[in-house]
Amino acid sequence: MNKVLLMGQANVGKSVLFNHLAGAAATVSNYPGTTVDFDKGHMMIEGERVEVVDVPGAFSLDPKDRAEEVAVRMLEEEKGATVVCVIDSSKVERGLYLALELIEKGYPVMIDLNMADVAKDVNIKVDTKRLEDILGVPVVTTVATRGEGLKELVSRMKEAKPVETGKIIEKVEAS
Amino acid sequence: MERALTVDQRWDLVDRIAKETVEVGAYKPTLKDALAGITVNPWTGIPFAIAVLYGFWTFFGEFAGLFTDGFFVRIFGTHWIPFLGEKLAGLPDWAFTILVGDKAVFAEGFVGDPCFAAGGVLTTGLFMPFGIVLWAVLALFFVLAILEDTGYLPRLAVLIDTVMHKIGLHGFAIVPTLISLGCNVPGVTAARTLETRKQRFIMIALLGVFVPCGAQIGMMEELVPGMIGWVFLTLAIGYFVFGWVLNKIWPGESPEILMDVPPYRAPQWSNILRKTWMRTRHFLFVAVPFVLLGCAIVMVLYATGAMDAIASGLEGLLASVFGVPASATPSLMVGFLRKDLAIGLLPIGAMTNYQVFKSVILLSIYFPCLATFALLLRELNWKEILATLGFLVAMVFVFGGVLNLIGMAGGW
Amino acid sequence: MEKKLSEMKYEEEGIVKKIEGGLKDKIAGMGIREGKEIKMMTKQPIKGPLVVAVGRSNTSIGLGLADKIIVEVGK
Repeated sequence: MNKVLLMGQANVGKSVLFNHLAGAAATVSNYPGTTVDFDKGHMMIEGERVEVVDVPGAFSLDPKDRAEEVAVRMLEEEKGATVVCVIDSSKVERGLYLALELIEKGYPVMIDLNMADVAKDVNIKVDTKRLEDILGVPVVTTVATRGEGLKELVSRMKEAKPVETGKIIEKVEAS
Repeated sequence: MERALTVDQRWDLVDRIAKETVEVGAYKPTLKDALAGITVNPWTGIPFAIAVLYGFWTFFGEFAGLFTDGFFVRIFGTHWIPFLGEKLAGLPDWAFTILVGDKAVFAEGFVGDPCFAAGGVLTTGLFMPFGIVLWAVLALFFVLAILEDTGYLPRLAVLIDTVMHKIGLHGFAIVPTLISLGCNVPGVTAARTLETRKQRFIMIALLGVFVPCGAQIGMMEELVPGMIGWVFLTLAIGYFVFGWVLNKIWPGESPEILMDVPPYRAPQWSNILRKTWMRTRHFLFVAVPFVLLGCAIVMVLYATGAMDAIASGLEGLLASVFGVPASATPSLMVGFLRKDLAIGLLPIGAMTNYQVFKSVILLSIYFPCLATFALLLRELNWKEILATLGFLVAMVFVFGGVLNLIGMAGGW
Repeated sequence: MEKKLSEMKYEEEGIVKKIEGGLKDKIAGMGIREGKEIKMMTKQPIKGPLVVAVGRSNTSIGLGLADKIIVEVGK
């Protein structure tokens, strides 16, 4: 693993997460499309220096503005990079839509259910174990604004791996 | 092997996964949800928006004024500038002129405020960025960060969408516009979130021509406070009228708004402060060297007599088309480098109020500062760049000429 | 009864029936899709945009785009 891309839809707390991971200061805003020029930084995983890239927010891999175009292009240039798909825990479904697109493209993916505090406030519960079992990729829960869950996120990045979409469908049908 | 699903298949799969893993409990709407409704409903939202923007404007004026008039005018005017005048008196004339100011002026006493009248790199050159502009920019970025982090901006975008659509943009264009009020550089960058080339071109052209940056606003607030309202009104008219014209003549698509509206969030102060600081720091790096360079150039041109030659060359044009005296030439010249410095160099005492007003408008629209222009070169293709420059020149003559005619008609 | 999203009234609720081709792919990632409950949050005057809620997400949509979305409403 030499490169990690943080991907996610707008307003999922991606840049806050990036700031924690890379110790950098990306600009963070509560409106769609803040990260248009992307930020890069480095973090240490088990003594290994890994590049982290804060990819502009994209709702899907079917771009509708230049920020999303940048995101899709970066993704295409970085075949082989590990992709952390950051999802707003209170809007899991649309986050999963993007996650599936990433999985279909064959990237080693892991999922970060961020903003767990918001989900709790609106009474939404996600069974992360079950989700991990179905998708076959690591799923962790974080509250990036408070720095919660970041250790687990980092320690499990190396478990991210490509998954066949067919396997996921089989899993769902089996249950 | 990639295996791509269709949109429907993918959603079908998401639904089945979500059914297995997500449990949505009962939820009672909170104050935040109520506020979300109120601020986006037109009947309550528009008065709310006006109140919010007015409140922030007031904060900006008070904050910037407190630092500038409360501290820095005194520190520079009564201590730093006279101190330098004495300490560096031994320097050769040319060096003194560039670093401190004209020796003769120091000997005879200043006409007006020494902070502006001195003109040297270490006197006026330091006073403008650190005494005035820094505080204005800091206040604007702070206010903007609060608007951003609470999630208010997308609501403002919804409210203003109807108007923005008439000029080929959509509501989200309010975000690059507001950011440009801090600094045009990140504002132009933010224009990338607009969907089509046409929208980005219109946005960038309007930002470069009609949106004054925080540095300029800070200088106006200090030097011509009574005029700011009129300046903003004139620029806003230009923004909408010529946005409408550009939309009619420039080919391309102007799709409608399609935007996620995030829930309100309590802002995190650490993030707000960090963001304000990051942007202010970036501003200092970009702006200060140009202000200092601009001061040096102006003083060299003065000392060598070149300024008089240029001024007399331009006198005819300035007087006939714009009705502005030739003494405004140095200001117009450094306006290519920095707008804030240009406003600081306007010979306000030697002009009528209406001439000052015209000059401030001309300075705002006639060229984006060098840093913004460099960014335009990167963001636009050559055809769009030429169009922007043509647009600039046209606007200078339209605004300069019309304002001059109005002035003549009004006898100002 | 079916109607266009653009014809829904303030606070009216319904179920998304059909989204026109190109738009469907474009808004898929924003959570708006066929079969989902949708609620009108606000309508701006003078042909302004709407804000609709689907699940926990709010989305602002121009009136012309909203013409391309058909909703099944009660009654």
